[in-house]
Amino acid sequence: MIKTIGILGAGTMGSGIAQVAAVAGFDVVLYDVSPDVLKSAMERIKGEFRSGVEKARITATAATEALAAIHPRKNFSDMGNADFIIEAAVEDLVVKKEIFKKLDVIVGQDVVLATNTSSLSITAIGSLTKTPESVVGMHFFNPAPVMKLVEVVRGKQTSDESVKTTCDVAVRMQKTPVVCKDTPGFIVNRVARPFYGEALRLLGEGVATVEEIDTIVKLGGGFRMGPFELMDLIGIDVNYAVTKSVYEQFFHEPRFRPHPIQRQMVEAGTLGRKTKKGFYTYK
Amino acid sequence: MPIKHISIFGDTPLVMEYASLCLHEKIHVSLRANPSGAQQAGKKLPQIPRGAKRVPKPVKNVGLALELSNLSLDEKRKNLIELDKVLPSKVSIISSSVTVSVTEQSGWISKPERLIGIGALPTLLQGSLIELALSFKTSEATLQAARDFAGAIGKDAAVVQDSVGMVLPRILCALANEAYFAMMEGVAAGGDIDTAMKLGTNYPHGPVEWAERIGIRQVFAVVAALHMSFGEDRYRPAPSLHVATLRDGLPAR
Repeated sequence: MIKTIGILGAGTMGSGIAQVAAVAGFDVVLYDVSPDVLKSAMERIKGEFRSGVEKARITATAATEALAAIHPRKNFSDMGNADFIIEAAVEDLVVKKEIFKKLDVIVGQDVVLATNTSSLSITAIGSLTKTPESVVGMHFFNPAPVMKLVEVVRGKQTSDESVKTTCDVAVRMQKTPVVCKDTPGFIVNRVARPFYGEALRLLGEGVATVEEIDTIVKLGGGFRMGPFELMDLIGIDVNYAVTKSVYEQFFHEPRFRPHPIQRQMVEAGTLGRKTKKGFYTYK
Repeated sequence: MPIKHISIFGDTPLVMEYASLCLHEKIHVSLRANPSGAQQAGKKLPQIPRGAKRVPKPVKNVGLALELSNLSLDEKRKNLIELDKVLPSKVSIISSSVTVSVTEQSGWISKPERLIGIGALPTLLQGSLIELALSFKTSEATLQAARDFAGAIGKDAAVVQDSVGMVLPRILCALANEAYFAMMEGVAAGGDIDTAMKLGTNYPHGPVEWAERIGIRQVFAVVAALHMSFGEDRYRPAPSLHVATLRDGLPAR
């Protein structure tokens, strides 16, 4: 039975996962290379618990206990105490390579090394370690405390045991794990591509306007948000980067081809809500 | 002038859905379902809605006609020619333009000004909006008749440019096609893909279950029509989607 989860990287995803794990009753060792990031992560988690108590989503006692279960650590070697590792560092294979090389030395052979990547190959990350069978993808969605889905990704060499352990951990975190094969975009980032891609092409071909397409998709199809509203929310640059990554990893499969409209919006710096201007204008 | 009597021809599921809605609005319905779209094996042949009348040939005394074939363009063309011959010229014909553009269809009949396209795909009437498309010959009166019809069945209408797949059917069928590619490649099981899309992106239904609701043959027909219309590899149907049409709509999981 897994008791202690080590989380590497205390950014938005890392701190969100730490919060979820602590609420689920795990002991959490939270590490970040930057003491400042670690400090602000703890502040953020405290704030989350405070507002959770105010909104009666969690009792004060449970929040206090969960907060006490998160141990921020500045020494990488403290990860050695964990019996399940979640790596949530930046999406950079070079950075991850360093991390996994160090993990190889301090964790036991039977410890599952889960990596919260959305775009890197689990198989490639697995090959960086001595135990590729224990490396598994554990893709949380942002914001981690809210989103129920976790994609559990089986790399070429990942063992059934590692997949099962990761699913069990996800379930204990009150998440819904979905197992998938290590392929570009996994499930969601791949299967969702036509939602944006076809909308962009419809716009580009002049079949309908941004507003018309969003309205048709929402009122006609029952979607909560239209494709352009969603791109503005996600960030047009982020969406474009995901599309490009899937497109390139599939050796330029035309189904995933990005659209020039996306590139031009990125070039213009109109990236959606975060810049107050994207397909729509925000105040 | 409110529509009193409507003629509905086309693929079974669409004919039945539109007939039910019209009957609900107290519009008389004369209908004829295509032989090919009769129904898929393993499913019961649907009863025609109470109050609707099955007709062997178009009847003259209707105020409006719907042609809702997506599967077979041969049947669609025959139905349209027949309707065009029999119906008085003031009667508009609203024809599904999801698998063939309304402009192309307008070349099949003698009075193309009475023809307008509609984004008809099974289950989409559950939404509150329908898409319309005009050919360059569609008359103002025909557009008005189509808008009045949308109003009569309680829907908003959006007019989009005439393009195969229109807006929503193109997006939905492309999503379903991608899900079938992913399933075929063993990325995940169909049920898991549905779960992931509902929880990860907030879609109202998963793409695999959605395709089954719409009808695999209808989805395949839209994707194949996009492929033909654009001539791009991007729209090639997933082989597994094609296989699923041969399995006659049995669950593909």
